[in-house]
Amino acid sequence: MPCLRIIPVLFVLFVLLSSAVVGRVDAPDVENIAVSAVEGAEQAAASAYLAVLEAENVGADVSELLRRLDSATLYLASARMSLRIGDFDGAIGNASFCVEALDAILSEVEVLKDEATKDLSEASLMAISGSIVGVVLVVCISFFGWRFFKVRYYERVLKMKPEVVKGES
Amino acid sequence: MNLEDYRTVFASVSLVLILVAAFPGLNVAISFPRSVERFSELWILGPERMAEGYPFNVTAGEGQGPVHIGVRNHMGASQYYLVYAKFRNQTQPLPNVLTSEPSPLSPLYEFRFFLADGETWETPMSFVVNDVVFKGNISFVGLISINDHVFPTNLSSDWNSEQDGFYYQLFFELWLYGENLQGFRFHNRFVGIWLNVTA
Repeated sequence: MPCLRIIPVLFVLFVLLSSAVVGRVDAPDVENIAVSAVEGAEQAAASAYLAVLEAENVGADVSELLRRLDSATLYLASARMSLRIGDFDGAIGNASFCVEALDAILSEVEVLKDEATKDLSEASLMAISGSIVGVVLVVCISFFGWRFFKVRYYERVLKMKPEVVKGES
Repeated sequence: MNLEDYRTVFASVSLVLILVAAFPGLNVAISFPRSVERFSELWILGPERMAEGYPFNVTAGEGQGPVHIGVRNHMGASQYYLVYAKFRNQTQPLPNVLTSEPSPLSPLYEFRFFLADGETWETPMSFVVNDVVFKGNISFVGLISINDHVFPTNLSSDWNSEQDGFYYQLFFELWLYGENLQGFRFHNRFVGIWLNVTA
C-alpha cells in the first residue's frame, strides 16, 4: 500500500521534471531559430546591397532603392537588438519583416540592373562608333584638305611675279 | 611661312582633332584611375546640432539628449554602414585606431543604413541610465535605455578623484560592409561622450 501512495507523488515529480526538461529544450530551440532568422536577414540585406551596388556600377540611379534598403534594415537592426536582450520572438518577427521587404527590393534591382546594363551597352556602342567615325572623318578631311591646300599653295607660288628690289644684284 | 611650316601646323591640328574625336571611345574602353581619397566622416552633435551642450551630468531615470549621430560617405560609391553604440567605464578599452581594432565590448544599440557617395545620414539619439547604485567609492549602472530600447549594462565605475565623478562613456563605432570580406569591418572611426553619473 505505501507503494501506491508514492505513485501520485512520483507522477507529479515526473510532470514537473519533464516540463522543466521540455522548457530547457524549447528555449535554446527558439534562440536557435531566432539566431538563424537574423543571420538569414543579415545575408539577405548583404545580397540586396551587393545587387544594388552592381546596378550602380552599370550606371543605374539607385537612390530610391537605397532608401528602401534603409527601411528594410531598420527591422534588421531591431532584430539584432532583440536578440541581444533575449527577446527571441521579437528577433524572429523583425527578421522576417526585413526579409519580406528585401525580397521585394531584390526583384526590382534585377529589372533596374538589366535596364541600366542595356542603356550602358547602347551608350558604349554609340561612343565607340561615334569615335571611330569621328577619327575617320578627321583623317579624311585632313588628308584631302592638305592635298587641296598644297595645290592652292603651288598655284599661288607659280602665279607670283619676281620683283626686283633696289640695291640687290 | 613655307610649305613645311604649313604641314607642321596641319599635322598638329589634325592630331588634336583625332584625340578629341577618339576621347568618348577611349573613355569607354579604358577606365582612368581616380586619385581621390576615400573616407567616411562620423560625428556626434549636441541637442542643438552644434558641437556643444553634450549631456554630461547624468542622473538615474532622467532623459538625456537627443545627441545627433552623423555619417557622410566619401568612398566614391554607395556604402552599407553600421554604427554600434557601446557603453564602458573608465578602465574598459576603447577601439584602437592604430591597429584598426574595434573595442571588444559588446554593442548595445545599432544603426544600419545605406548611403550614396557624397550623401549624409544623421539621426537623433536619446538615452536614460537606470538602476544606478552608489556604494562608497563605487557606482553601478544596471541599465541603459537608448531610443526606448532597454539594455542591461551591469557596469561599475570607481570614483575618479582627479575629475571628481563617476565616469562612464557612451561611444559609437563606425563599421563598413566589405564586399570582399562578405561582412562588416571596423572602419577606424569612433566618437563618444563622457558621462558623470550622479545621485
